[in-house]
Amino acid sequence: MNRADLVAVLPEVILLAGALAVVTLAVFADRPRAEWGTAAGLALFLAGVAAGVQWWALGDTPGSLHFSARGLEVLRNPMVVMDPYSALAGIAICVVGLLGLLAAWELVGSLGRRGPEFVALLLLAVAGLHAMTIAANLVLLFLALETASISFYVMAGFTRERLDADEAALKYFLLGSFASAIFVYGVALLFAATGALGIYGAGGLRSFFATTIVVEPGVLVVALGMLLVGFGFKVSAAPFHQWAPDVYQGAPSGAVGLMAAGVKLAGFLALGRVFAAGLPAQIDRWSSAVAILAGVSVIVGSVLAAVQRDVKRLLAYSGVAHAGYVLVGLTVGVFGLPAVTFYATTYAVMLMGAFALVGAVSGSGGGASPFEDWAGLGRRAPGLALAMTALLLGLGGLPFTAGFVGKLQVFTAAIRGGFLWLVVLALVTTVVGLYFYLRVVATMYFDDGEGAVAATPWTTRVVVGVAVVVTLALGIFPWPYLDVVRDALPL
Amino acid sequence: MAPLTLLVALPLLGALAVAAVPRRRPEVIFPLAIAVSLPPLAVVLWILASFEPGDPGFQLVESVRWSAELGIGWRLGIDGISLFLVVLTTVLMPLAIAASKSIVEGRKAYMVSMLVLETGLLGVFVALDLVVFFAFFEIVLVPMYLLIGLWGSERRRYAAMKFVLYTAIGSAFLLAGILALGLAAGEAGGALASFDFRDVAALDLSVGAQRWLFVAFALAFAIKVPVFPLHTWLPDAHTEAPTAGSVVLAGVLLKMGTYGLVRFNLTLFPQASVDFAGIMVALGVVGIVYGAAVAIVQPDVKRLVAYSSISHLGFVVLGTFALTVQGIGGGIFLGVSHGLTTGALFLLIGMLYDRRHTRRIDAFGGIASVMPVYAGVFLFMAFASAGLPALSGFVGEFTVLLGSFPSYPAAAIAAGSGVVLAAVYLLWAYERIFTGPVTEPENEALDDLDGRELAILVPLVALVLVLGLYPRPVLDRIEPAVSAVLERIEAETGHVAPAPALELHVGGGEEG
Repeated sequence: MNRADLVAVLPEVILLAGALAVVTLAVFADRPRAEWGTAAGLALFLAGVAAGVQWWALGDTPGSLHFSARGLEVLRNPMVVMDPYSALAGIAICVVGLLGLLAAWELVGSLGRRGPEFVALLLLAVAGLHAMTIAANLVLLFLALETASISFYVMAGFTRERLDADEAALKYFLLGSFASAIFVYGVALLFAATGALGIYGAGGLRSFFATTIVVEPGVLVVALGMLLVGFGFKVSAAPFHQWAPDVYQGAPSGAVGLMAAGVKLAGFLALGRVFAAGLPAQIDRWSSAVAILAGVSVIVGSVLAAVQRDVKRLLAYSGVAHAGYVLVGLTVGVFGLPAVTFYATTYAVMLMGAFALVGAVSGSGGGASPFEDWAGLGRRAPGLALAMTALLLGLGGLPFTAGFVGKLQVFTAAIRGGFLWLVVLALVTTVVGLYFYLRVVATMYFDDGEGAVAATPWTTRVVVGVAVVVTLALGIFPWPYLDVVRDALPL
Repeated sequence: MAPLTLLVALPLLGALAVAAVPRRRPEVIFPLAIAVSLPPLAVVLWILASFEPGDPGFQLVESVRWSAELGIGWRLGIDGISLFLVVLTTVLMPLAIAASKSIVEGRKAYMVSMLVLETGLLGVFVALDLVVFFAFFEIVLVPMYLLIGLWGSERRRYAAMKFVLYTAIGSAFLLAGILALGLAAGEAGGALASFDFRDVAALDLSVGAQRWLFVAFALAFAIKVPVFPLHTWLPDAHTEAPTAGSVVLAGVLLKMGTYGLVRFNLTLFPQASVDFAGIMVALGVVGIVYGAAVAIVQPDVKRLVAYSSISHLGFVVLGTFALTVQGIGGGIFLGVSHGLTTGALFLLIGMLYDRRHTRRIDAFGGIASVMPVYAGVFLFMAFASAGLPALSGFVGEFTVLLGSFPSYPAAAIAAGSGVVLAAVYLLWAYERIFTGPVTEPENEALDDLDGRELAILVPLVALVLVLGLYPRPVLDRIEPAVSAVLERIEAETGHVAPAPALELHVGGGEEG
């Protein structure tokens, strides 16, 4: 292992060290929450800095490949890739992870002695998410996916005294494992079709398709389909979304944000890596499938979100629609990746803020967040209501929010790729989106509610503040960040 | 010096100033809101003074490119088509704010919404970048949603959502059209995309593409106008909105639709405009007659004025798609006049509502004897709205009729019945509310207009009178830009605008 190899996996190293530090400090040294919590926050921060260093070190180079061990170069099967795409992904995932830690802070406090376990799992999950974005090999991608997923299964059921949390964890576990199995089966079939497990290198998918014309694509098509289904489960694209509403509703509100935003962010970026960067030669085979998945997602997500009376379920179903919007941008392959990156990162931050507010309004350990909890919030807690309004308008894609800029980009990319029908469909469902987000706004401002809202902890306020600032700043002046995502291309 | 940026930014800065008023000083909010609504008016007066009347192109153009890839930039400009809508916006807004004294609960949020609304409206009229235009077009929904939903009457929630959804559906198609156009313009210019209006206008689109895009744009704008049969959101939104909301809604928001039809549909899709002109004229005439007929039977005077808007805006659509200078220019003029007269009528109705908390016509009767000044102003505005000569409504409607008669004589004649019907519903309403003996005892002690209310109404009365007696300066600034649009249509298509039936010499203009 040389220095560049170490830099490539430095965020993982830091995060895992952080997880160990948390457990050591809390369990063996019996230190207070402030200390091991700070250690966890520091680990996330430093991992983000490490990703930033990667970005800076890459400079104008397109990226570099890294092997599992010296001497295996002969297999020409690199495991890890470090490119601007993964560096930006690393920064974004660590930011989201840090927001997730802050949002979960109150929950962690209420967990007592199990708090450190939760935080250690959170760090492991973030490490897994990050590894998903740097994986240059589908088996490594699978391992990273499982690392993140298994951590999240446990986190979903952490408030095990609540029955619905148990149900959520079990449901998440069963359906998630099912999806993982499909994914890994897809990897196996892809190997059968191409003999490649990696994306890059002489034995990778790209060089296979550069030199081979697939005449009978039967197995290949099945493999691509299964990969897509596996990713579809993870990012909750319809029709593979059924787990999301129940899991979000049952899992503790303080943890849901990261569970939803983190998995989606890493899932979309990995999806972009595998399909847009790894299989550009096969775009004719997968782009229409992605387009159909996108079309089904925006319709199903929007329509089902419109009838929800629980904010968490609404965010879950609207997340299905958002998965569809991201997939709209992916239909055009690598040209759509800047749009996908912009959309996925800003959506993740907005979603973090929205779920943090759910925790503030309905309790961070609680499950459901019915509309009744939100009624009259405009009078009871004007600050929270205003922040939620800004985030919901951002999610709804109104101008002068990051959501609008993101939508503008994915739609522009898709029209350029010839998917005008999909864009018109997605725009119409955006109107439905406006309807259900405004329903929450209307509930907060036009309805009368009772009871005082518990004081919002500073950690939640930070998360919400960051999310609102990002939503508005990248909506009003997105240009510098647009330049960043334009340059953040995979190798 | 960037006067248009300043113009768009000033109301927003005002909104921030109002939002910063500390909670313990609520009495500052109302005067401060009025004060911050005046600087945009001052900027507009300066723009009006420096506007070059004969220049058909965009003036005071500002252009800062934000993103080369996306082709988006902060591009602003003003021409004869948008100039008086900008004037109208800045004139109506201080008056609407001053008329909102009865809003006590949530006054700060209300004033902030009004000022943000003003920024959005001004942005729509001066934007020269299609994405910036769309952003302002869409953002207007948010303050209007809150104004209707928070400070409206009983069915406000329903009306607010209906308003948003109707408009947003149109916007969805509009954005699809804008993106397609921007990409095509970028391709033509060797870039990835360009949403610069002038680049897009330079495109040579196929007839098929023009038709699709025309429909996408026209749908969005027709909902906003609203053109029959897409009008059903309007009576609800108007009736439920607070007074100032109705004033701005009727006065300015609807003009976003007619403005869009001229600015985008006529300019960008000349062949499709000629092809679809017949349909649009027919829909305009149906709207004129339908709106007027339904207005007659309304028991609620606010709803009556709301339906009258559908009728008046039908005239604007008729004139626009008559595809003559008089028709289009008269439509723009009528839009401004409608903003003044209908705005004034909504203000008057709001003042009566503040006193009696009802808008039912049968709750009144004979109140001219207790509120003579109010009755006088109401009658004046009713006459202006109905198109009595020497008042602004007459100039607009008559010019539209003159402009549309040569190409669509039947439509012009049918539309003429709208003028008659307008006299019927307005004067019949006047008769029932004001004339005769006082029917209800609680109406006997109604106060007449006070100083603040008069101060709000007098500018509108003066403007209606000035525009009615001496419209030439306004028409002189509108017509060059309209002629340019029409010349383009004639150059690109086989369309020949018929010679005017009659030159209008209202107010003794010096034109030949």
